[in-house]
Amino acid sequence: MTGRRESSAWILVALAPVVFLAALLVGRFGIRFTDTFRALLGLGGVEDVFRALVLQVRLPRVLAAACIGANLAASGAAFQGLFRNPLVDSRILGVSSGAAFGAAVALLASAGWLGVQVSAFAFALVAVGIVCTIGSRLGSSPLVLVIGGVLVSALFNALLGLTKYVADPLSTLPAITYWLLGGLSTARWASIIPLLAVTVLGVTFLVAVRWRLNVLTLSDAEATAMGVRVRGFRWAVILVGTVLVAASVAVGGMIGWIGLVVPHLARAWVGPDHGRMIPVSIAVGAIILMVLDSVARSAMASEIPLGILTGLIGVPAFFLLFVRFLSQRESTR
Amino acid sequence: MKRGMLCFLSVCTIASLLSLAAPIIEVTDQMDQTVAVSTPVERIVSVYGMGTYYLYALGASDRLVRAWYVGVKTIAQAPEEMFRFEPHLEELLTSGDPSIEEMIALDPDLILVDGSRHGAFAEQMLDLGVPVLQFCVETPERLQEALLLVAETLGGEAQRRAALFGESYHRITATVAEDLALLAAADRARVLFIGTDLLRVASGDMYQTLLLEAAGGSSVSAELSGSWNEVSMEQVLLWNPDVIIIPPYGPVQPSDILDDPVWQSVAAVRDGRVHRMPRYIAPMDTPVPESLLGVAWLASVLYPEQVSIDLASEVHAFYATYYGMPLSEEELEALTRR
Repeated sequence: MTGRRESSAWILVALAPVVFLAALLVGRFGIRFTDTFRALLGLGGVEDVFRALVLQVRLPRVLAAACIGANLAASGAAFQGLFRNPLVDSRILGVSSGAAFGAAVALLASAGWLGVQVSAFAFALVAVGIVCTIGSRLGSSPLVLVIGGVLVSALFNALLGLTKYVADPLSTLPAITYWLLGGLSTARWASIIPLLAVTVLGVTFLVAVRWRLNVLTLSDAEATAMGVRVRGFRWAVILVGTVLVAASVAVGGMIGWIGLVVPHLARAWVGPDHGRMIPVSIAVGAIILMVLDSVARSAMASEIPLGILTGLIGVPAFFLLFVRFLSQRESTR
Repeated sequence: MKRGMLCFLSVCTIASLLSLAAPIIEVTDQMDQTVAVSTPVERIVSVYGMGTYYLYALGASDRLVRAWYVGVKTIAQAPEEMFRFEPHLEELLTSGDPSIEEMIALDPDLILVDGSRHGAFAEQMLDLGVPVLQFCVETPERLQEALLLVAETLGGEAQRRAALFGESYHRITATVAEDLALLAAADRARVLFIGTDLLRVASGDMYQTLLLEAAGGSSVSAELSGSWNEVSMEQVLLWNPDVIIIPPYGPVQPSDILDDPVWQSVAAVRDGRVHRMPRYIAPMDTPVPESLLGVAWLASVLYPEQVSIDLASEVHAFYATYYGMPLSEEELEALTRR
């Protein structure tokens, strides 16, 4: 059983680069297979427009989709274990609400894409910082952090409502609305380099500590008995997970459901052991978002907001997983 | 008996005098509601940010007691020019959703609202006995109807100006059509009208697309529906527009497109045909009287060689006629820049 799960995990991880290359071949503009690869390999004989499209438009966008999918899924998987709660997703500590408010404020001030990203990232960290401050004052138990997250999310949602209320309906309000729907149409090299750096560092950290994440699912007393200093490790995971989500939301806007559903899919496939579940979550998150973003940018002349697609796919997927969980529980009784 | 008869006659006389003093007219608004309006209309609230400009165009801005202005939510956002034509802007300007109690306190004779947004508010005000006109201006023709509708309740000079506006609009569109009559469909400018972001474009349902068509162009994104649509860079390259138009609001500038390496493959960028619409008071790509100038400006940008409209004269005449504001040379130059 373990051997089968091990090989499943490796198959899924190996599938991610294949999907990455396939996503580069998809788009509204018909580019020949050979031209795409010639452009990627820097070979001559490719029209300038094709080269620009592959290297300046598709490549950064597919990379951004892969990074964001991986980040949301990895942090969701880590947080579900850390909070011992399967309904937790990567946004549990108010990071998305903080980022949304930050982006809205920057859009209100016409700060440009860099300002929007920096502001979204900064306010995401501020939101989680407030939750962590509440947690450190009241005992830092998972329950306190979850309640703190709910409160801070509500606060930033109210502030977001206020920014929308005062926004100019001709210019700023549509910009805020589109940002909140999520999407990668503006993903360019300049805007995704910080995301790439954060993803490499953060995902490497979570992969490196994946076996120790199992300990966080135990009670603090049990974990301490096993020789793991839970408190410091928990804060480290929270910090890394938060930075991963904040960087993702700053570039892609509000993309829901990946952080909740993908860890469950991974768990259903390779079991609950974080050693396998974290790499598979990362691979599946990246694959799903690359596929959905390819649909978002190719299916119609206008972009389909990614947040809508992840919701349309995420809700039935979660429902099916829930039905499966119930039937398994019935059969074990 | 005689005294009773005398009383009855007196009451009838007073009633008929009152009705003569305040005749009631019935009009049908753009949501097909029949509204009774007591005239003369002296106090107007315009909750409709675009409709506010109708009152300026009709010479009735002095009757405004409270107003919403499109694109201006706070006094700090107001362009300097607005204070020239409206010295009382600070007292009039408001934003957000209207408060029913405040509306009643203002004791208006007429309220203008956007029918698609404030239908429920209009119903409440009508129930309270305040006449409300609802507008649904989706096309240039509906804009002319809207001006005639407001003018009907105001009478006199307003009706003359509304008729003049319609004539001016027809004159400009007829001139464009005549000048471009021999231009083959394949030679018509294919235009991308973007919004407040490089990759946000106007759909076929939008006023901007109709203005482009009135100016003899065709929108490459006319197949899209709804409001502003987000599109991918690939789709823009696929459309490969001849001209790109940026609205007079939002952060996008022509240099954002002209200096971007990814956009260099687009025909409009190669030919340097990326233009941001000028703005003086209201944005001329929206359903406001300025959209008359929007058609003239677009036509002269799309077909500088073919179209015979004298843009400077049109701009000068528009602001002198409808806002009573003669423009300086610099202002005129800025508004006619392509």
